[in-house]
Amino acid sequence: MAFEKVCNLEDVSEGEALQIETFEEAIAVYNVGGQIFATQDRCTHGDWSLADGFLEDGVIECTLHWGKFCVRTGKVKAPPACDPLTIYPVEVRGGEIFVDYEAGKVGE
Amino acid sequence: MTAGKTKTRLNIGADPREFQKRPSWTNEDILGLLDEEDGTLDPRIYTDEDLYRLEQERVFGRAWILLGHETHVPKPGDFLTTYMGEDPVILVRQKDKSLRVFLNQCPHRGMRICRTDGGNAKSFTCSYHGWAYDLGGNLINVPYESEAFCSDFNKSEWGPTHARVETYKGLVFANWDKNAPTLLEYLSDATYYMDHMLDRTPAGTEVIGGMQKWIIPCNWKFAAEQFCSDMYHAGTVSHLSGIEAGLPEGMELSDAKIPTVGYQFRAKWGGHGTGFYVGEPGMLLAIMGPKVTEYLTDSEAASRAEQHLGSAERARQLMVQHMTVFPTCSFLPGINTVRTWQPRGPHETEIWAFTVVDADAPEEVKEEYRRQTLRTFSAGGVFEQDDGENWVEIQSVLRGHQARKRRFNIQMGKGRSGVGNKDFPGSIGYVYNEEAARGLYRQWIRMMTEPSWETLGP
Ligand code: FES
Ligand SMILES: [Fe+2]
Repeated sequence: MAFEKVCNLEDVSEGEALQIETFEEAIAVYNVGGQIFATQDRCTHGDWSLADGFLEDGVIECTLHWGKFCVRTGKVKAPPACDPLTIYPVEVRGGEIFVDYEAGKVGE
Repeated sequence: MTAGKTKTRLNIGADPREFQKRPSWTNEDILGLLDEEDGTLDPRIYTDEDLYRLEQERVFGRAWILLGHETHVPKPGDFLTTYMGEDPVILVRQKDKSLRVFLNQCPHRGMRICRTDGGNAKSFTCSYHGWAYDLGGNLINVPYESEAFCSDFNKSEWGPTHARVETYKGLVFANWDKNAPTLLEYLSDATYYMDHMLDRTPAGTEVIGGMQKWIIPCNWKFAAEQFCSDMYHAGTVSHLSGIEAGLPEGMELSDAKIPTVGYQFRAKWGGHGTGFYVGEPGMLLAIMGPKVTEYLTDSEAASRAEQHLGSAERARQLMVQHMTVFPTCSFLPGINTVRTWQPRGPHETEIWAFTVVDADAPEEVKEEYRRQTLRTFSAGGVFEQDDGENWVEIQSVLRGHQARKRRFNIQMGKGRSGVGNKDFPGSIGYVYNEEAARGLYRQWIRMMTEPSWETLGP
């Protein structure tokens, strides 16, 4: 278990997503009403950044083909996506966001 | 025998012994549509289906077409869907702030790539089979590409057709033709007169929200010609009821005196034209009301414009200017409505109009421009109705065979233009004139008959 700092809390405003490129694969960090979540950034359907998508009620919509995922569980919420996202444990400490990349696991 | 001596002046009917051949429009035929010497014009330029087809290729495929204003798409990803002739295009602001224009057609099976009027996008995805394009119009994703396409399929070859895009002081133009002159060369000596609207202040202009669109059943050339060259209708009868009905409070009709001093300009190349009154603000006051008139003629902003344009005549005394940049970009400096006449067949035009204001004008002046252009020149504008009624009626009359055979008179001001003065340079004539209209149709005929920019270019 190795949590690494990825950004400051203020870098991701409410309702927004941020692409983080410090790991092997890019991840997306989301702010859902003050709660922070992290998933793989690349859509499991097409090769496209989810952080560029639309975040609404904890669901991220990919702008390429409109597949949707729950950012908390990684679960598929709309076709044409079929495979869930990998999700990562997140901790917020004193205004900084930490992610455990090694502990990522494929969602439901 | 005596009857034979009286020459009849009536132009009666046809000689019915031969049917008219279906015109195939050789260059010679097209050159005959306008006779600048005699001052006559063949009305089939407004009605003929074959000429219309040729016009899409030869005029709209090669001319600079107005798409909108830079402030329609200020931020990266901002886009507008519009047209160049009948071809749908997407105008997109790039991440590096430059602009791109590409055909709104998916090269897969031809579906419209983007189906909304405008907005902000990260990418464009075709709603048929999901081919996806980035903001620059490059094909970036093809569903089942590796499973379903052959190995030599190359995404970089299958993006949409692109157009050139250039701007002049806020107005965005595009051109399909890689050999066409630059926008600045194309605008020729008309830029000087465009500046009366676009360059009154170092802050430039900005658009007042959105785009108004409506359809009228007439050929686009009636509208383009009128804005280019026709002050005559405004100084005679077309707009009298509009002026009477909308007279500002406390203003007497005798104060809205129809001016008699003014000029018309025909660009030395390109078919662009403009005209305006000089001096008397009565008509401007009747159209735009006291607040806008004061702003233009007698305010701090007017003094700044005088300095910036380097001339009191140009900044404060020029009234009710009309202007067309060939073929379909028209606007009224001072009134500040700007529009593209979008051709929709020989008998129909979509009007796409917006209003610009000086970017540093006081908020109340901007609001007054919004209100007044809505009232005067817009889908429901009083003066817009007057103009449209005329164009639509002419088009309707031209359903008739006899009507199409009768050449129109386009003689006003013929041979009477000269070189202007220091304030109003170029080819200049009296304000009531058809010299600029002859220029517009001359350019139309040249584009319809000269395939190479080597002869056609400025
Ligand atoms: S027509 Fe656009 S993806 Fe098939
Ligand atoms: Fe008019």
